[in-house]
Formats: sequence, C-alpha cells, structure tokens
Amino acid sequence: MTAQIELIDIDKHYGNFHALKNVSLTIDKGSFVALVGPSGCGKSTLLRSIAGLETITSGRMTIAGKEMTGVPPRHRDIAMVFQSYALYPHMTVEENLTYSLRLHGVSKADARKKAAEVAATTGLSELLSRYPRQLSGGQRQRVAMGRAIIRNPKAFLFDEPLSNLDAALRVQMRKEIRALHDRLGATSVYVTHDQIEAMTMADWVVVMRAGIIEQQGRPLDLYDKPVNRFVAGFIGSPAMNFLPGRIADSGNSVVLDGGGSLPLARNVEPGRTVIAGVRPEHLQVRGDDANFHLEVGVVESTGSATYLTSRDGNFQLVQSERTQLASGDRVGLGIDPTRVHLFDPETGIAL
Amino acid sequence: MTRFLNALRDGVGFDILLVGAALLFLLALAGAPLVYNVLMSFQQVDMFTLGVLFRPFVGFDNYVAVVQQPEFWMVTRNTLVFVFGSMTGQFVLGFALALFFAQDFPGASTIRGLFLVSWVMPGLVVGAIWSWILAGDFGVLNVILKSLGIIQNNVFWKSDPNFSIWAVIIANIWLGLAFNMLLLSVGLAAIPRDLYEAAELDGANAFQRFWTITLPMMRSTIGAVLSLGLIGTLQQFDLFPALTEGGPANTSNVAGFWSWQLSFQLYDFAKGATVSVMMFLLVLFASVIYVRSTRHEVRG
Repeated sequence: MTAQIELIDIDKHYGNFHALKNVSLTIDKGSFVALVGPSGCGKSTLLRSIAGLETITSGRMTIAGKEMTGVPPRHRDIAMVFQSYALYPHMTVEENLTYSLRLHGVSKADARKKAAEVAATTGLSELLSRYPRQLSGGQRQRVAMGRAIIRNPKAFLFDEPLSNLDAALRVQMRKEIRALHDRLGATSVYVTHDQIEAMTMADWVVVMRAGIIEQQGRPLDLYDKPVNRFVAGFIGSPAMNFLPGRIADSGNSVVLDGGGSLPLARNVEPGRTVIAGVRPEHLQVRGDDANFHLEVGVVESTGSATYLTSRDGNFQLVQSERTQLASGDRVGLGIDPTRVHLFDPETGIAL
Repeated sequence: MTRFLNALRDGVGFDILLVGAALLFLLALAGAPLVYNVLMSFQQVDMFTLGVLFRPFVGFDNYVAVVQQPEFWMVTRNTLVFVFGSMTGQFVLGFALALFFAQDFPGASTIRGLFLVSWVMPGLVVGAIWSWILAGDFGVLNVILKSLGIIQNNVFWKSDPNFSIWAVIIANIWLGLAFNMLLLSVGLAAIPRDLYEAAELDGANAFQRFWTITLPMMRSTIGAVLSLGLIGTLQQFDLFPALTEGGPANTSNVAGFWSWQLSFQLYDFAKGATVSVMMFLLVLFASVIYVRSTRHEVRG
C-alpha cells in the first residue's frame, strides 16, 4: 500500500503550550485511520494540521506524494466533516453540496447532476431544496458528508462527527460512514474521543495523549497487546482493572497487595513490583480455585450482561451469564493466565 | 382591591402594566407631537393662531408652497447627496474597520473600543473640531493636502459652494463611523468560525469567502445598519450650525436644517412642519423596505 498522507516530525506550539510533540504518522491509501485520545491530547490539532487550518511549528507533510507543508487549505484537495457540520445556513442543501463545484467553475447543469448523484447515495434526494435549519441532526450530518464526497477529494477528515447525535443514530451513522468509505475507496482520518467508535470503524487506530502518539496499530492488536498502562486503560470498555503486586519467588505468579495472586503464563524476574492489568470481561467467578476475592458493591444488569463493581469502587467485572450475586457478597475470581497484563509501576510500560 | 393586589403578586396583569407605561410614554412624547406636526402641515399657521389647535384648514397648500420655494430643489439635491454620501462613507469605512478589527492581533478589541469616543462626543463638539480642521486659511486638512502635493492653493471647504456640503459629509462620516463599525463587528462576530474553515477547505479564497459567506450571513445586520444610518443621517442637525449653517446660499442646506430654519428663524411653522412630514414619509418608506427585506430572514 502506498502512503496517502505522510506526517514527519510534526511539532505544534500554542504560545507556551506544546500541542503536538514530534508526531510522525503514515496513513495508507484507502485506509480508515482513527485518532483517539482524551480531551486535549492533540488529536483535533493533528487533524486540523493535516487540513491546513492550523499552521505547524515544524515538520513536514505530504498528501498523495505532494509536499503540503505551508500550502493553504484550499489547495490541499481535502474534505472535512466538522463536529458542528458547519453547513452554510443561507444555502439550500443543493447549494451546500455544490458550493465547492461552483467555486471551481463547474457548470450549473453538471453541478446539479453531481448533487443529485451524491444526494442519492446519502439519502438526501427529497431534501435538496430545504435549508439546514429545516433538517434533523442526522440529515445535517448527511449533508456534511455529501458536501465532502461530491468533490472526490484526496482524503476525508472527520472531526468527532457523531458527537451531536443521539445514541441510536450514532450507531447507525457509524456503519453508514464506514460503508461509504469502503464504497468510495477513500482515505479517511477520523478523530474521536470514543474508543468504541475508533475500534469499530477504523482499520488502524492511533492512540494519543498529551501531544504524542502512545501506540498505533490494528484495533484488536491494541486491545490484546497495549504497550503501556495508558493505552490498556483507554482501549476497552469497561476499562481494564489495575492491581498492584509483586512477582512471586517462583516467577510465574503475581502476589497481589490486596490479597490473593494471579497466575502468569510466563516467567518474570522474581521479587519485582508490578501493576497487573485484567480486563473486566476476562474474569470468571470461581469457587474453590479462585485467584483472589473481593466484596461486591453495585450489581447492574442489562439482560445480556451483568456489570459488577467492587465495594471500594476500584474494580469492575463483566459476566455474560446472569448471576445471583448481590451487594455485600464475597466473590472468588479467576483468570486465564494468558490474559494477565503486567506494567512497570513507575513508567507504566508493559512488561 | 385585594384581588388587584393578588393579581399583581401573581404577575397576572403586571405585564400589561409594564407595556402600558411604555406605550403611554411613547404616545405622549412621540405620538402626539407627530400627529400635531402632520395636522399643522395642513393648516394655516401664523403668529395669531399659534396657540390654538384648530386653525384654518388649507389642504395641500403648504406642500405646494414648499415645493415652489426657490431653494426646494437645491435642498432636496443636497439632502440626497448628504444622505448617500454620509451613509456610503460610514458604511464602507465602518465595514472595512470592522473586518480589520475582526482579525486576531494584539490590542484589537482595545483599539476598537477607543473608536467609541467619536460616537460618545456631542455633534456640536465634533462640528467645532472639524470646523478647525476644515478651516480654509489655517485648517490642518489643507496643510496636509498641500504638503502631499494634492492641492496647490487653500480650499475653503466651508465657504466654497462646491465643497460646503462635503465639509458636513466628512464630519458626519467621522461621527457615525464608530456606530457602523460596532454594529457590523457584532454581526461579524456572530458568524461561526467553522463556516469559514469549511469554505476554505471547499476552495474559497478570501474574496470568495467574503462574498459567499460574510455578506449573506450579515444581511440582517447590514439592513439594520443602513436603516439606522438613514434615520440618523436625516436627523443630523448639530453639525450644520457648527460648520456651515446651511450656507453659503443654501449650498449645504438639507431638509432637517431647512425645516428648523423655516420654523424657528422665519417662524413659518406650517412650512417647517410640512418639510418634516416629507422627511418622515421618506424614512417610513425606507423602514418598510427594510422590514420587508428581513421578513424572510434565513438563519440556521
């Protein structure tokens, strides 16, 4: 695969604030890349830098092989879908869709034809003469996407496009955006703070924090092999549980500070202090051969799964079966040794 | 009585009381004089009938007489020149300044705030200052223009019939500039930034963004600024006594000042009232156009 967007050593300062720290990223042609991270991690700044809406302090970038550092947004041939949609309120849906075509001198008849095609793919055919204020949130979202795809740009940039929609619509639009991406064979960069969106939509997930890329890879690789405690805690819902402990003398188990122990599938330097990470969905309720015990606090049942939170609030587990457990019960838990993650207590790096 | 107090406490009828007070005030201090003025324009008014309400009715005689005044067409032409000259200058310069201060640079909002000074100053004071600046023999404007080589000899701005109306227009542009700029700044600030970003990504250059985003989004603001500008310009009075007193030979006289001259210098109250009614019709016409143009306002 060839690189469609290449970012090399990008730095961005806002006054004293260092928003992007030496970020390098290659985005393959035809891929769907999600930039994900908590608020203020620099993911939106990175996206806006690709669009040219932010000027980078240092570094280089190319789009489709062409040098783009310092090129103004209108010459980058990139389309963006904004969180607010940024539809032109004084134009009809059709005028919104054809705005870029009209700017580029496409004839009125051709623009109309193109708008009709795009409206058909995005389900807007009936709405072409409406104004944005007459549309629902989901329809506005579609206009924003239509405005992007009508230009057939080098890349699509999405800046948290689903955050203004209600939950049901969000799930539906997730699939629609992904389907559209596949049909157009487009290159997409998608910014979100929602790791579920990132995991479900993207081929490649980039986890950012405080202006640096913590880890990038295929979604399931991030889930299975997080390189540090931050990524481990960020990817997966509910979040991974972290338990401080020490490697036993035998080297193949962790003695937990809170009592009990976790088996390991490999040998680690004995006596070393570690943070053990276990995902809520990987724990099983066991009787005699439990690895450790905890007191149940809150029990939440959704029908398909049961979420248990410990009495001290620090520990969560998910059970796919229904359970008779109630608040105050003491429960024994076990785990498959291959599912235990270990992190260095100081650096947070995976061991 | 208790019921009334209870109603007041519950807020029932309190809204009507508030609206009523404002309406009463408006009727007494704006409505009644307006009606009286219109009435007077259809009456024969002289020093003997000044104190009575029902004077001899003369139909449109006053209107005919005003139009037949030798200075009528000159005053009409001057009024149009004054209104269009002032409004164009105020609007174009005000818009340019509003766009300039909408840019992000240190001190932008502070300097913009300083422009309020021109708006706060009384018209007579502004007139006095411009009277010095525009003075033919010692005015600073002539000095600047001469040193730049634009003019060779002093221009007597206030007393040259070719320039006298422009002397008042220049002062009036300065006086109304800040008001235009502030209203337009508010309109500009209300346009979401991401519209410009979307347009930029769609391929619009700065000129196209102004033409396709800024102007259409500013439509109602521009309508309000122009309507208020028209009203304010027609009402402008202070600058005339301070600068030219309508002279020389009515070459800088406009309807508003003429109406005052007729009423309070020549004591021809009927003609003064007639001129002001004519002006009122003009403003009414412009207001109706403005209201109609914003009725189908498109806002997202």
